[in-house]
Amino acid sequence: MANLLWLQGGACSGNTMSFLNAEEPSACDLVNDFGINVLWHPSLGVELGENLRKLLRDLVSGAIPLDIFVFEGTVVNAPGGTGEWNRFAGRPMKDWVADLCKAAGFVVAVGDCATWGGIPATAPNPSDSQGLQFLKREHGGFLGKDFTSKAGLPVINVPGCPAHPDWITQIVVAVATGRTADITLDEFQRPKTFFQSFTQTGCTRNMHFAYKVSATEFGQRKGCLFYDLGCRGPMTHSPCNRILWNRQSSKTRAGMPCLGCTEPEFPFFDLAPGTVFKTQTVMGIPKDMPNGVDKKGYIALTAAAKNAAPRWAEEDIFVV
Amino acid sequence: MRERIGKLLADGLKTQTEPFPETAREFSRLLDELYRLPPDDLRGKLVLSGFTDTPYGPERMRCQECMYYLVHRKWCDLPELAVPVEADWWCRLWRI
Ligand code: SF4
Ligand code: SF4
Ligand code: SF4
Repeated sequence: MANLLWLQGGACSGNTMSFLNAEEPSACDLVNDFGINVLWHPSLGVELGENLRKLLRDLVSGAIPLDIFVFEGTVVNAPGGTGEWNRFAGRPMKDWVADLCKAAGFVVAVGDCATWGGIPATAPNPSDSQGLQFLKREHGGFLGKDFTSKAGLPVINVPGCPAHPDWITQIVVAVATGRTADITLDEFQRPKTFFQSFTQTGCTRNMHFAYKVSATEFGQRKGCLFYDLGCRGPMTHSPCNRILWNRQSSKTRAGMPCLGCTEPEFPFFDLAPGTVFKTQTVMGIPKDMPNGVDKKGYIALTAAAKNAAPRWAEEDIFVV
Repeated sequence: MRERIGKLLADGLKTQTEPFPETAREFSRLLDELYRLPPDDLRGKLVLSGFTDTPYGPERMRCQECMYYLVHRKWCDLPELAVPVEADWWCRLWRI
């Protein structure tokens, strides 16, 4: 039996919605099949008022062991470092977070807000938000870069805006069933099993990427979304085309460019009108190249790819 | 149509090849201008997008390598242009 507590800071509840939509395993499976005891969750918890406060105090004191602490949303520090803008159960949420992280066996940050600050921490960051152990790309965040939980691990970051339901439940199960030895983390503390490959891995538009055939509008059923529509698939670590959304789709499969939501820079684009969902170029050449490709190589590659493009690359191959 | 465009260019139609849109924002500004032209204004399209019937600049840029060029159809797939072209032509919406 592993005790799990889920709290929410500066957040839109997107990761909660995502979590409740999980199927492999589902939120119910966590309880029934994997012996996870959900002590409290913002959408599922039944305790209120003094009962909830007592539960939290008991978790902090160790009277009730806290095996897994899941946090969704940013740690809000405003105004002036007091955290008063985000109060919960009688005190600033950030104080609960600090105490609970010390008491927890494992700490799991779910979604971009909890991992690197996400949208709330984007400049000018009025809520003075931080991720648990990162602020954007900078290591440290609310807990500091040396933080490790009782089990000796740093915060396990499951980013995404929101994180895919199954990334959340599978990591929670791995932690709860003692398989943390299987979880290796990358430099941003993301489990490698999910975040080592790119969004592009498994993308059905890979052929179009190779032959430089561009989709010019959303939802078009041919063409790669990189050249015009700013797809971040080649530079974004995520398994969105391996572990599909709703078991059947992904952004790129639906004709929508990847926004790079699993990377610390999200949302990083120049958000001026006319620049969103547009590949940023300098003299006609993309500003951000696919990983490992330089400008000269890119031009040479393009010429070769164009020459080799098969006839079908110009056809609509997404026959439904 | 390709021949008609070729003839217009060969006859010395003066098109606006400069300035080349350096950034994505300048590029989309040019697209907006193109979009506002009446759909059958072929000359307008050619002039505004700066067509040439030869490769352009020191890098010898040409439709053949451009993102929008469909090799087999010899067609410019940029929605705001959507015209048949030759591999050796160029326009300032060139993008790779
Ligand atoms: S750039 Fe985007 S659309 Fe193109 S192949 Fe990669 S992931 Fe797919
Ligand atoms: S496709 Fe890209 S933007 Fe969409 S969820 Fe995956 S990583 Fe995020
Ligand atoms: S955008 Fe211009 S350079 Fe590119 S294919 Fe079309 S006409 Fe040629």
